[in-house]
Amino acid sequence: MRGFNLIVLRQLKAQLRTAEWRALLFATWIAIALATLLALLGDRLERGLLRESAAMLGADLVLSSQRPINPARIDDALQRGFQIAQVAQFPSMVSVGDEMMLVSVRAVTSPYPLRGEIRTEPPLPQDQPFSGEVWVEARILEQLSLQVGDQVTLGYSEFTITAAMLSSPDRGSGLRSFSPQLVMHQEDLEATGILAPGSRAEFRLLLAGEPQEIETLETLWQASLGDEERLFSLRADQPMTGAALGSALSYLKLTALIALLLSALTIFLSLRRFSDGQHQRCALLLSLGLNSTDLVKLYLYQLMIAWLLLSVVGTITGIALEQIILSWLKELLPEALPTPTHWRYLSGPAMGFALLILLGLPPILQLSNISVSSLFRDEIVGSDKRALLIQLTCFALLAATLLAFLGAPLAALTLLMLILVGGALFGWIAQQCLKLLAIPFAKKLLLGRLLIMRLEQQKRWHRLQAGVVILLMTLLSLVWISRSDLLADWYTQIPEDTPNYFVINIQPWQTESLQEFLDQNAIRSELYPMVRGRVSTLNGSSIHAQMNPEQLEHNTLNRELNLSWSDTPPSHNSIVAGRWWDADTSDPEISVEREMAEILGLVPGDLLGFNLGGIEIEARITSLRAVEWTSFQPNFYVIFNAAALKEMPATFITSFRLETERQALASQLVREFPSLTLIDIGQLLTQIGTWLERLGDSSALILGLTMLCGALLMLLTLHQALQQRRYESALLQTLGASAEQTQKLDLLELLLLGAVCGILAVITTELTLMLLYQHLLNLTPKLHVGMWILLPLTSSLFFVISGILMRRRLTLSQCYRLLKSS
Amino acid sequence: MTLPTDNKILLEAQNVAKWFATQDQRLELFHDLNLKVLEGETLAIVGRSGAGKSTLLSLLAGLDQPSSGDILLQGRSLAKMDDATRAELRAKQISFIFQSFHLLPELSALDNVRLALEIQGNPSAVTEAKHWLNQVGLGQRIDHFPAQLSGGEQQRVAIARAFATRPSLLFADEPTGNLDEDTGQQIIEQLFALNKQENTTLILITHDLDLAARCQRCVSLHAGQLHETQRQAMS
Ligand SMILES: Nc1ncnc2c1ncn2[C@@H]1O[C@H](COP(=O)(O)OP(=O)(O)OP(=O)(O)O)[C@@H](O)[C@H]1O
Ligand SMILES: [Mg+2]
Repeated sequence: MRGFNLIVLRQLKAQLRTAEWRALLFATWIAIALATLLALLGDRLERGLLRESAAMLGADLVLSSQRPINPARIDDALQRGFQIAQVAQFPSMVSVGDEMMLVSVRAVTSPYPLRGEIRTEPPLPQDQPFSGEVWVEARILEQLSLQVGDQVTLGYSEFTITAAMLSSPDRGSGLRSFSPQLVMHQEDLEATGILAPGSRAEFRLLLAGEPQEIETLETLWQASLGDEERLFSLRADQPMTGAALGSALSYLKLTALIALLLSALTIFLSLRRFSDGQHQRCALLLSLGLNSTDLVKLYLYQLMIAWLLLSVVGTITGIALEQIILSWLKELLPEALPTPTHWRYLSGPAMGFALLILLGLPPILQLSNISVSSLFRDEIVGSDKRALLIQLTCFALLAATLLAFLGAPLAALTLLMLILVGGALFGWIAQQCLKLLAIPFAKKLLLGRLLIMRLEQQKRWHRLQAGVVILLMTLLSLVWISRSDLLADWYTQIPEDTPNYFVINIQPWQTESLQEFLDQNAIRSELYPMVRGRVSTLNGSSIHAQMNPEQLEHNTLNRELNLSWSDTPPSHNSIVAGRWWDADTSDPEISVEREMAEILGLVPGDLLGFNLGGIEIEARITSLRAVEWTSFQPNFYVIFNAAALKEMPATFITSFRLETERQALASQLVREFPSLTLIDIGQLLTQIGTWLERLGDSSALILGLTMLCGALLMLLTLHQALQQRRYESALLQTLGASAEQTQKLDLLELLLLGAVCGILAVITTELTLMLLYQHLLNLTPKLHVGMWILLPLTSSLFFVISGILMRRRLTLSQCYRLLKSS
Repeated sequence: MTLPTDNKILLEAQNVAKWFATQDQRLELFHDLNLKVLEGETLAIVGRSGAGKSTLLSLLAGLDQPSSGDILLQGRSLAKMDDATRAELRAKQISFIFQSFHLLPELSALDNVRLALEIQGNPSAVTEAKHWLNQVGLGQRIDHFPAQLSGGEQQRVAIARAFATRPSLLFADEPTGNLDEDTGQQIIEQLFALNKQENTTLILITHDLDLAARCQRCVSLHAGQLHETQRQAMS
């Protein structure tokens, strides 16, 4: 039918000018963009980091240990017919001339890896570098201005870079997986002189075999794991890398989910408002002979056109957002992410379709049931309760789908319920506050009584508006303030003379010459010996048996500790109980860190037993020390007297401060002592800072979109509320009130609403921050005076300004017309 | 002109009753109501506000169902038709003129008229729409939108729209109710002139006794019953 196209297009064009259609389009646009973003990012990150863990592991099963792999394990694996590979991964400096860089070195046996492959540029036929060669990641080439074919120094050896690694499995666990990586052959390891007994390194045994047998071995080894050992497998729920990114991803998802729900709510409300305004039009079209099927089609077409256009625009926006976020997270991600699965591009349009059709169909179907005879009566047809019910059901369905999409439905559901309940509660409190606030005005102002009446009338609207506004403002200020507080705290905690370099892996035979070097260059520093050991007994019997579950959680009972010895107390520690031993004591004595002693209930006089790589040693606690962990000085939970540990194999550690203008000394140090590992803390901190900032930026981007959705929702309902007020104002004006007075009434209402929302948001934020700081972040709570002024001010201004912009002043003749037509 | 007694019956209400069930009570508007409308006849329905005139009109046009009784259009029961047939009826045979015009604001005068023709499936909608706008004296203003037209002009567009589909039955519910007296008079002239020219059956609700007097027949709805108030020969 040709007439049909005529109205579809004309009607759409005309309706684009209405507030509800603009809100609808905008909200759908954001929803499609966000759904696309989430689908693409989620897919790529998950597939890149989490799902392909087989290739990520480089094997079917990985045994990781803080000490060289126990030969018995290797024998066991070989006897069972598994294919194996060994990896030692450790931090080290690579240098070229004066330039150097901290990298994570993997020394591997061949074949390597057992699953997946290292992709290189140029592509090479072999699986791993030959002896004398190294492969490095592009980041290393960039930073040291190197090219494939150049020479680099690693410890005492020189290597040729034969390839740049594009991607590689088995990056190791924790932070080391984020460091720039270098792969070398294990044959060359000894010659570099880097890895001596006691050096910091992760040793891994990679295994590949039949799934059935891998599983058997996994269960078997799991039961007999040493304290320094960990097992990683495909089945394990905790992949080696990506845990951090995984939680960042769920955070992004959650924020985006809130934004999506807000958009859905906006779409829901604007569709309702839209269809409520269509009753007369539909009755007219029906009176002209259009049948109800065509009428439904008419409105569906209109939604479909909007959907098609928005799908294109929204998907493009989503892809753009994804690119932005990926570029921000670039350094945190493996070199090459898999390209997204193609159908994922349809997620945004699918979401848009579900939103528009699921939420739009019930009111549209309701429209087709309109009676033409309503045109005789000029009545405003109330909307059908049943359609609302169906629409609400659809909304709930959508919310459920979104939750499922998040992966952790239960947590998300709890959070969502919290948000809903919190929103409702805030709305109610705000409305009560408004009531109280209005009372003094009622006495003074001419329109005061009207204000009270209006507050009663508009109760529901105020609750909705206040609930959403307070929640959003609280969320935004929480993120904003905790972030700046954390950063501020971070910087103020670092004193001026804090060491900015750590040197680790110092071998005993190097200590003298190193000390000499440091003294020559007037670098103040102390060398501390380090021996690894575990706490095993307390007063003669197993310490684990004597502790309650809470104590058993403590760090010191669950890992190997770095133990040190000295006959003088470290200058940056202070003795808080007992007394330091004399230099000539020969019985083993120890000084324990205060907090550890408190938590484990240790007192001077207790006898603590240690296992140092198989050697048992018992020592009496003679003093407790206060330690400032954030001082960037080498710090130890337990320090022995020299006589007790002197004979144990140890490495040494030191830290010192180099002013910016003397940084060249660092490279000189690495040249003279190639096997040492120098860690530039300043650089490390900046790097971690950048990562945190990037993650923060990404979430801020999505949070910004959430805010946009919220603002949109508020503007839509505000517009609707103001529209309703026009009739009231018209009536008041014809009864003799001036246009100024009615405007004052509207603006006063909005001002009060804004102020109440702002103040409640401030209070909620402060309370939440207080809890967070005290219980989670260990910061001292403080009042944020700026926020107390800023939030109420911005929210009042937001309401009043949008009120002024959206409210049109009525002339008397307009009033007359409005009333006549109503 | 003689009374069209020999004409066929176009519309007939047989023992029609209508009641609305409100919360606790039953509001009965009429019972055992009978009415015959002949082809080409002009009929005015008068009555107090709230008497049920508009409701009766909806029943006669098949927009609403009687609680009991039947309404026959050309001998066919409106109640037994399905929605699609009734919609087709509205497209081809029945037109309406409303008190508050009801033009689509985003369509020009021409497009408002054209829309009705196109819904009907008329292939020469534009030419005919122009023709009918000329007939109501708006030939110069076909591109104007409702907001640019006065109330009287809007109602004239509505009249053009109503006649354009060449209905056999035209319902008008207080067509001058929203207009001042002079403009209302002009609209009435227009309506009757076209009606005469097209020989349409016109059923009209009005409070205006002068207007009622211009119809061939006038019935008054009172206490649920129709009373014939005048039967006049316009010779
Ligand atoms: N759907 C309905 N449900 C309940 N009551 C209704 C309904 N439709 C009409 N009524 C009632 O029926 C009565 C007649 O209404 P109707 O609109 O037909 O009167 P009217 O004669 O056209 O009045 P007016 O001259 O004011 O237009 C009124 O009291 C009205 O409230
Ligand atoms: Mg009426």
